[in-house]
Amino acid sequence: MSANFNETNIRCSSEAAKNFIDWYYRQLNDAKPVSHGYINGHAAYTNAGHAPADICINGLVVATPQEWDKLLDQQREAPKQPDPNKRRVRYDVESFDVHVINADYRFGASAKMLELNAPTDGVRMMMVLTVAGSVLFGTGRSKAEDYWEKQSFHDRFILVPNWDVLEKPGARYGRKYLISSHNYRAN
Amino acid sequence: MAPPTGPRGSSSRGGRSNPRGSRGGGIAKRRGTPRTDRDGDVSMDATAANNPPSGPARGSTRGTRGSRGGRGARASTRLAQNVRNFVSEQDGVSRGEKPQSNRATLKIYGLKDSKAANNSDGGLRSLLDFLERKSSKERPITLGRGTISGDVVWLKVNRADTPHLLRLNGYTYAGAPLTIEETSEPIPGRGNQPTDGADSKPSETKDKLLVVLASRYNPEQKLLDLSALGADQTLFSLGAFESKALAEKSFKALMRLTTTHYGSDAEKEAGIQAVTVANNDIHDVGEIFTLAHTFPRLRRLDLSGNKLEDLSKISKWRHEFRRLEELHLVGNPVTNLPTYPTQMVDWFPSLQILDGRRVRTPEEAAVALKSWFPTPLPHLPSNLRDGGNNVAATFLRSFFSAYDQDRLALARQFYDDDSIFSLSAGSESTSSPYHNFSRNLETIGIRSNSAQQRLFTGINLIADLWGRLPATRHANLDLTDEWQIDCHTFPNLADPSGQGSAMGLAITAHSRFEELDPSQQLVGTRKFTRSFILGPSKPGAPHPYRVVSDQLTLRARVTEPTPSASAVIQAPAVVPVPTAPAHVAPAVAGPVLAQAPLLDDTIRAQMVAELARQTGMTAEYARLCLAGAANWDFDLALRSFHEKRGELPPEAFVPGA
Repeated sequence: MSANFNETNIRCSSEAAKNFIDWYYRQLNDAKPVSHGYINGHAAYTNAGHAPADICINGLVVATPQEWDKLLDQQREAPKQPDPNKRRVRYDVESFDVHVINADYRFGASAKMLELNAPTDGVRMMMVLTVAGSVLFGTGRSKAEDYWEKQSFHDRFILVPNWDVLEKPGARYGRKYLISSHNYRAN
Repeated sequence: MAPPTGPRGSSSRGGRSNPRGSRGGGIAKRRGTPRTDRDGDVSMDATAANNPPSGPARGSTRGTRGSRGGRGARASTRLAQNVRNFVSEQDGVSRGEKPQSNRATLKIYGLKDSKAANNSDGGLRSLLDFLERKSSKERPITLGRGTISGDVVWLKVNRADTPHLLRLNGYTYAGAPLTIEETSEPIPGRGNQPTDGADSKPSETKDKLLVVLASRYNPEQKLLDLSALGADQTLFSLGAFESKALAEKSFKALMRLTTTHYGSDAEKEAGIQAVTVANNDIHDVGEIFTLAHTFPRLRRLDLSGNKLEDLSKISKWRHEFRRLEELHLVGNPVTNLPTYPTQMVDWFPSLQILDGRRVRTPEEAAVALKSWFPTPLPHLPSNLRDGGNNVAATFLRSFFSAYDQDRLALARQFYDDDSIFSLSAGSESTSSPYHNFSRNLETIGIRSNSAQQRLFTGINLIADLWGRLPATRHANLDLTDEWQIDCHTFPNLADPSGQGSAMGLAITAHSRFEELDPSQQLVGTRKFTRSFILGPSKPGAPHPYRVVSDQLTLRARVTEPTPSASAVIQAPAVVPVPTAPAHVAPAVAGPVLAQAPLLDDTIRAQMVAELARQTGMTAEYARLCLAGAANWDFDLALRSFHEKRGELPPEAFVPGA
């Protein structure tokens, strides 16, 4: 039986997904960049020759995470709106789910990581994460605020280990998993 | 400390020439002003009579009431209450029932004999203030509107407040003893007071107002004509425009009725796109401000023939009506100002036609609106990057038609013991057929047992679950407007042989399906997203690739009003049905969408080869089988082969097979 649904991996992947979502959508809602959450620019991946993260936004292939940040900025633009409570773009997560698709992920890992973490340890996981919810345009920070336009969104991420962080024992900062593929649709 | 009369005297309301007379002033009548000062006197008398020692306290009491504009504030709450009554959805029946539970009726005698009886309102207001003050020992008690009928004051109060009020029985008020008793008699018809010109029954008033609204609605133009309301006979008979304040309230009532008439904002938006409030003697848009909140997305507005003098009289709306495309202000003094057109264009970003002149093109308007609100990103159609051999398209075609028809066969075809499936539903009700299987970690929590249990692995568990989910029918994949499919290949999946890594294919398909609710047998549609990860199969599997992971995200269900749901998905009938060989009749019974996929010859050849391999038939017969009733549905062809195997001639098979 595959380690993909080993009990530890299920628990760890759920926790990793929750952490990731908490970070990612907070960044979006606070109008902060998310580009450092992608594998691009992370030494362990670039040095090992991994292709840049695949980002597809509403059917448009976006070359770099920085361009995605720019698109998000463009989406938030409302220069004439005097009321900050009508300027925001807010993502409300309503559901998410995660599967481990490779519990024995090896790409870019150091020999030490491979030795220390068995495929059933819930560390070397490649995960597919789906998130669905509402995106509100021209709204405030709280859920009760009125909005100008509402869409539903769906995000699909493939997450891979961030070796730089995972290798440091007891690392408290930095993203433990990075986005290697991102598909976004809102309508 | 300002005397109670202070703030009032300065307001326009002070202009009454005959404060004590009956309402000869007519249009200028304000109930608040005269009451205040007289009431102040009365309060003082009453307090002095009943409570001599508490001098400072008395003063502070008065002060508070006076300075907070007590009656004024109360009066406006009361007026608001009146407006609510005006448009109250409660009809006679519910009004009759509700009070019995938590409302009690009190009869109060003695007001007629008091000094306050000479007040313009018969002393009612000051009596109620007196009662409020005296009864509010333990907690604040607020009294509603009382009714004077003969010698008696009728009053509805909260049942909980009754004991506190009955305790005041026998108190002296403005020189007269009060008798307070509870009664079950109904309050005699309201509206006996001369001030209450409007018909008393809210439901009747509501009906009349609805008639007014209906008669002023033009469905072709989606226009609500509220022009010259003052000349409306019905409104006139209701007394709705006797004074400016009443006119404003009546307008609010009309707005609120309009809102309650429509089920949703979207309906209202679709129903009413234009409003005219021409010739209404409007001096400031503040008088009809509610219009902006009732119709935030109004397209056309006619304000002509009013008395708007300058831009400040319109500026209250400068952040409203973001979608207003056409505005008419002809006949208002403001139109003579040189800055008027530019200011209007600046304030209303969508404005294209001002007083009949074009001031913006639609494109310019779209740009102007963009600077006011965040704008969603543009949409592009499906983005298929599946490595060039159409794996995704082929897979999805087989997948969704098989999911609608034979889920067990589907699971056997593309899944293996390591495949994972889970579904997540957003805010599904507990009665939803998906609810008990939903692995929505946002709602069930990441540490719950369900997070483990609702992950379905292996052909048997997955097929078993699928068997319990409602029957579905997906849209034909050729209806490209119905589908948004994105896919791309990615590296570093585990190779099932255990050696090295393999490429995977990530597919995300967004669309909707028809769904039969198993408990109610109701057809509905549901938006969904299905996210697959495909990877190479283990040796010996029926297909070269398998589903590694399958996540189904479900959106809210929309129930169809009619059971014939086939129209829903087939609605875009303009899409040309691809011509397939003459074999249109589907082989299986039941509500199955006729699938006529657009397959290129390469895929057909592959299917023929595969069928020939699995059945032992010759390529020619395999092609016949596929092109026949099966209509290039591989599973169907395979099934009909098994059914009709005995009837096939020996030359249908490859010799030696």
